Amino acid sequence: MNCDLARLILPEYLSQSLGESQELAFAAHLATCDACRAETERLGSLWRGLALLPDTLPEPGANVRDRFYESLAAYRHGLESAPKHGFKEKLAALWPKQAAFQMAISFALLVMGIGVGYEMQREKPVQPVVGSELAQLRGEVSNMRQMVALSLMQQQSAGERLRGVSWAYRVESTDTEVLSALLTTVNNDDSVNVRLSAVGALHAFGASPVTRAAIVQSIRKQTSPLVQIALIELLVDLKVTDAAPELKRLASDNTIDLSVRERANWALGKLLQ
Amino acid sequence: MAAVGSGEVQKLAVLFERHHRGLFRYFVSMNRNRELSEDLVQDVFFRMLRYRASYDAQQSFTAWMYQIARNASVDQAQKRRGEVIGIDEFTEHKPDLSPGPEESAVRGQDLRLLRLALDRLPADKRELLVLSRFQGMKYDELSTVLGCEVGTVKVRVYRAMRALEQAYLTISGEKTA
Ligand SMILES: [Zn+2]
Repeated sequence: MNCDLARLILPEYLSQSLGESQELAFAAHLATCDACRAETERLGSLWRGLALLPDTLPEPGANVRDRFYESLAAYRHGLESAPKHGFKEKLAALWPKQAAFQMAISFALLVMGIGVGYEMQREKPVQPVVGSELAQLRGEVSNMRQMVALSLMQQQSAGERLRGVSWAYRVESTDTEVLSALLTTVNNDDSVNVRLSAVGALHAFGASPVTRAAIVQSIRKQTSPLVQIALIELLVDLKVTDAAPELKRLASDNTIDLSVRERANWALGKLLQ
Repeated sequence: MAAVGSGEVQKLAVLFERHHRGLFRYFVSMNRNRELSEDLVQDVFFRMLRYRASYDAQQSFTAWMYQIARNASVDQAQKRRGEVIGIDEFTEHKPDLSPGPEESAVRGQDLRLLRLALDRLPADKRELLVLSRFQGMKYDELSTVLGCEVGTVKVRVYRAMRALEQAYLTISGEKTA
């Protein structure tokens, strides 16, 4: 063995992953070569030190685990339970391929199961779980966040729907399913808190003309001045200048709460300056 | 098949429990930002569902997972291009320095210097050492993750070790000067 080859396999020697014959050859080279022996000692010390470094790193926060299990729980919620006002019908409206969606998730989790099984027993061949009923599934589970957001937004408890809205912040801003679910929440949710946070979540979707038009239309549908003001402020944030005529009508409409009319006036000033 | 049984969910949880710390350490070693790293860990598990079709049962699961982790990291960096990413200080987390079986290994102050040296390496070298040393990856797994030949991996690991030694000596010199 020459020095070049010895250097190439030095890290493997240090991690004790050389085959027996190579290890012997390496040791034989060290016995005759001071340079390689010295290098092996120096790098070996660093190599062992590296193994201790992970203990100096911080641990992931507990929220990582919470978020993960929250998403799993949301899956099971969405799949195993049928909460109030016809969850399945609502879901079907959101996804025309609802059955495929359910199957796709089952399929996804099965595949994960294969991963685990494979890891536990590498020597055993992996059993093919993909049967004919699964093989036809091409409905892509495009985004787990989307599913979690949509699923949670359908839940009975306002707390869970709030969490659903917070998940909506994490989807792509081009996600039309989540956008339509958010708009439905803004217009129809029973809880003012949930509606308010959904208004906040719409901000990320502000580039879409659908969003901009829907925000304008939503103001009159609202019963809570708080939500109306939040929508008006969102129009200003998103610089929706098209909203000016509607804002003018709102500002001069006596049936609207005074604080909302004042905010509409302020928004007009902002948008038209 | 209509509903996800608790068994499958448990298996996904097993994967999470087994790998999330390792993933977090990988990310935090690369970006030095706790919050970003936590988001990335979450992202990896989403992506595993999303890209499950790309998993080849002949392949090492760990290698597949870290391919996904690297992609997640690259995508996030692109998303945040131009943003200033905070560098967290991890000084509060002290390793257990009681003498152990690895008596000859660098310890205490030396370990701190070693971490500084590792941080100073270019990202590709640091990544190689983190994957092989923190995650215990074999050369064939590294070649899958990094998309290069096993022979290339060997050369690169050796070079990364030499670079680490250089950085370590430089920092030791700075500290004692
Ligand atoms: Zn030699």
